[in-house]
Amino acid sequence: MHIPDGFLSTPVWATLDVISAPAVAWTARRAQRDTQDHRIPLLGVMGAFVFAAQMVNFPVGPGTSGHLVGGALLTVVLGPAAASLVLTAILVLQALIFQDGGVLALGANIFNMALAGVAAAYLSYRLWGQASRSTAIFAAGALSVMTSACLALGQLLISGVPMTAGVLWASLGLFLISALMEGAITVAAVRAIERLNPAWVGGPQPASSRTVAGVGLAALILVVVGTLLASIAPDGIQRLTGQGVDSTTWPQRTMGGLAGIAMIFALCYLAGKLKSRRRSA
Amino acid sequence: MHHLVIDRWSRGSSSLHQRDPRAKLAALLTFLIVLSTTRPAAQAAFAAYAVLLIITASRARLPILGLAGRAALVLPFSATFALLTWWSGDSLRALALAEKSFLSGMAALLLVATTPLTGWTAALESWHVPRMLILVIQFVYRYLFVIAEQAQRMRWAALCRGRGSFGLAAGLVGVLFARSWQRADGIYHAMLARGFRGRFVPAVPVPLGASDALFLSACLAGCLGIRILL
Repeated sequence: MHIPDGFLSTPVWATLDVISAPAVAWTARRAQRDTQDHRIPLLGVMGAFVFAAQMVNFPVGPGTSGHLVGGALLTVVLGPAAASLVLTAILVLQALIFQDGGVLALGANIFNMALAGVAAAYLSYRLWGQASRSTAIFAAGALSVMTSACLALGQLLISGVPMTAGVLWASLGLFLISALMEGAITVAAVRAIERLNPAWVGGPQPASSRTVAGVGLAALILVVVGTLLASIAPDGIQRLTGQGVDSTTWPQRTMGGLAGIAMIFALCYLAGKLKSRRRSA
Repeated sequence: MHHLVIDRWSRGSSSLHQRDPRAKLAALLTFLIVLSTTRPAAQAAFAAYAVLLIITASRARLPILGLAGRAALVLPFSATFALLTWWSGDSLRALALAEKSFLSGMAALLLVATTPLTGWTAALESWHVPRMLILVIQFVYRYLFVIAEQAQRMRWAALCRGRGSFGLAAGLVGVLFARSWQRADGIYHAMLARGFRGRFVPAVPVPLGASDALFLSACLAGCLGIRILL
């Protein structure tokens, strides 16, 4: 779901642009470091491939068909940093040339699809890749689509686009169906690619870092569910903090949120340090 | 044969085509930010923005109906949400949603219809967008239609052989992937044969001219004037 301009309120798109810009710079640097020369054209051609592969219809059941979204496939084939970069490039082209997603909303769309979506795919592939590859790839496809869609929905709700409970449940149901379809299509596509040349699809990382992947995925899912809950029922959070929205301005609220995230991050970091020290001792 | 009409438009020679891409990109961002912060109740402002875009398009000698038709690609999405908003009783806001998304699409189109891809990517690069991202954008755009056409041909061939199935579609994606991968290899070797040494030489930035500054200030004055007065 590409959000066009005009839907997100100014604080929402501005915050997400500010978050996405350094994140894109970071993934670009990562991708550059991991990439040999011959992979630069490869990344571009893979982006074009995803565009083209979206035209192939996968028949599912009578009269319905789905198509590949491709985030998880790119993550499995190219690795997370390169996949995120390629998806960002696709989103920029879609926003400017194909009128699919807005220019100011680019930060939001990059955050939902190229950052959070790829993170979900990467973490699930890493977490379950050793146990069962098919399950891992299915989860990567399904979770990446579900994450992106739920985040987009949450952002629209926070921006004040009104939705009744019925519409909300219907769209969540639709997201679930398309997430499951993406999972199945990604598994089928990866299998077809591996049949042609197994070397094209890299294996998942060794299992030693499963805890990190598990915690990361759990954190990501918590953020997504939290965003949705917060956007559906802001009243609860207001009651929790004991003040109405009107009493604070949006920069204060944003800063408060960011401070909270930083605090949680610091706690997780300390806990991880402690754990690794105990293990090495 | 796919051929993007925007590519043809962007090779025009009007005064708008000759402006520096950085000035046009800055003007686009100003317009979008001003549009985004306009209140739904200020319907006169939306009409004025539309007039501003029409004047710009006619200065660039672009077909206005063609532009509007392409910008209307956003309407299915925004109309859905506009209807939802309408049902919840906020008709003014519903109208503003559709108008904002349509005008934003139209403004972005005006940029790419007057600036070739190399122009606006160079502008992005001068604003320190990572080089790697710029390169990937250029490669995706260059091979987009080549590979899409290949996919289309393969799809037709598969349809001619019989009814599609899930497995068949997966095979199609697999073969398309293999061909793309081999094409990327070929591209890299062709680049090496042409003297590619592992990095691209960045273009030397040219300072903005007086007419570019004039264009940008006219755009700023137009947008802000409408936003404040109406």
